Amino acid sequence: MISELKQRLSEASRAVAPLFGLVCLLQFTLVHAPAALFLQFIAGTPLVIGGMMLLFMGVEIGILPMGRFIGAALPRRGSITLIMAVAFAVGFAVTVAEPDVLILAGQVERMSQGAINGTIVLYVVALGVGTCVALAMARIVYGTSLRLLLGTAFAAVLVLSFFAPSAFVPLAYDAGSVTTGILTAPVVIALAIGLSSVLAGRSAAADGFGLLGFASIGAIIAVMIMGMVMQ
Amino acid sequence: MDVALLIDELKATFWSVLTALVPLAVFFAAFQIFLLKLPRGDVRSIVIGSALAAAGLFLFLMGVAIAFLPFGRAVGAALGALEQKWLLLPAGLLLGYVTTWGEPAVRILADQVDEASNGALPRRLVLPTICIGVAIYTGLGLLRIGYEIPLLYLLVPGYVLALVILWLSDTTFAAVAVDAGGVATGPLANTFLLALAFGVSGAIGNQDPVLHGFGLVALIALAPIISVMTLGLLVRRKEARKEQ
Repeated sequence: MISELKQRLSEASRAVAPLFGLVCLLQFTLVHAPAALFLQFIAGTPLVIGGMMLLFMGVEIGILPMGRFIGAALPRRGSITLIMAVAFAVGFAVTVAEPDVLILAGQVERMSQGAINGTIVLYVVALGVGTCVALAMARIVYGTSLRLLLGTAFAAVLVLSFFAPSAFVPLAYDAGSVTTGILTAPVVIALAIGLSSVLAGRSAAADGFGLLGFASIGAIIAVMIMGMVMQ
Repeated sequence: MDVALLIDELKATFWSVLTALVPLAVFFAAFQIFLLKLPRGDVRSIVIGSALAAAGLFLFLMGVAIAFLPFGRAVGAALGALEQKWLLLPAGLLLGYVTTWGEPAVRILADQVDEASNGALPRRLVLPTICIGVAIYTGLGLLRIGYEIPLLYLLVPGYVLALVILWLSDTTFAAVAVDAGGVATGPLANTFLLALAFGVSGAIGNQDPVLHGFGLVALIALAPIISVMTLGLLVRRKEARKEQ
């Protein structure tokens, strides 16, 4: 346990050290921020390192095994509907819970001068994410080409960029990047790896990834379509 | 820092950790009861691990709010005030690289890739590749704010490029690449780089900092998709050469 802690501490320190060093360097050469602000920076950094150490440990001990157990148990009932329903629920629930998505929804409401309800935006994004996670899970089961799925999604994003109202486009891209929280990312990856591990003849590397990214594309498409419908 | 502000920050961080944890907990509980029925030892380590992760996330987010958010804005304002706007490019390259290097979710993803590929895609390759992608796009993104270039001029060619490389790359790399795009916009990038962009945009004036700042996040999400798939093409070329 102690050696594990030490290892995680050293990893967290090495992760933060370059950023810390660069910021210190900039402070003395270019920024010259007030001393109080700089001291605040120095004081917060150990919190960041300590927090990261605990986070890494917790993810290893609890979060990843949770995802893997659930992923491996999913096909047990032999029902693709169950797998897709669970995937949809995960995508939907974590999006609704993500604080950044709420902020984004508020922005849309402001941008449209109240014409578009923020709550609707929240659920539209969650719907987009849930649908895409469900599709991505079905892909793992059926072994459909991920490239085909991704290619279609990217092409849809590109085409919609030109047709969606211009005020919605930047918001849509933002929606894509706010949907993947730091706790949900390992769960979703582990879920897919777990699912892939119990299907015969699969590579965990090719199956386990892609869900998260696909989820964020779902959010982009959902917001753009909403923009077009609203107009 | 103001004590009242600090308490507000504590409360806000506490709530955001709680809202991230609750759906996971409910989800796991439902599974445990209806499908998994894991032995008590496994459940205990999952609960302990989740609690550790939540506590760690709380400390981490607090530290980021205290240390990196205000300072990112200060650095951004100093950069935006520079006479030579081209300096935004090297500054963005450096800051983008080191921020992603410190992003926890990027490291978790790189570890998972290493493990799932049995070391064929080692972490020491994947992690720097994601960092390089974000570095390039942060540099370009800051430059865009400095010269007031529309966001779509960077995003659309980026997505076209991603589509083209996707056509050529292997499924594994494509899959890892899109996930890398998801995790690169983690809490550190969303605060430090976003504050940086707000700072630059505010210093240049005459802009809506919110719109310009968020544009940077959209670029950061796209960057690793391109860089990781490019890595895949390079790896394959090297292997093909070995076989000859």
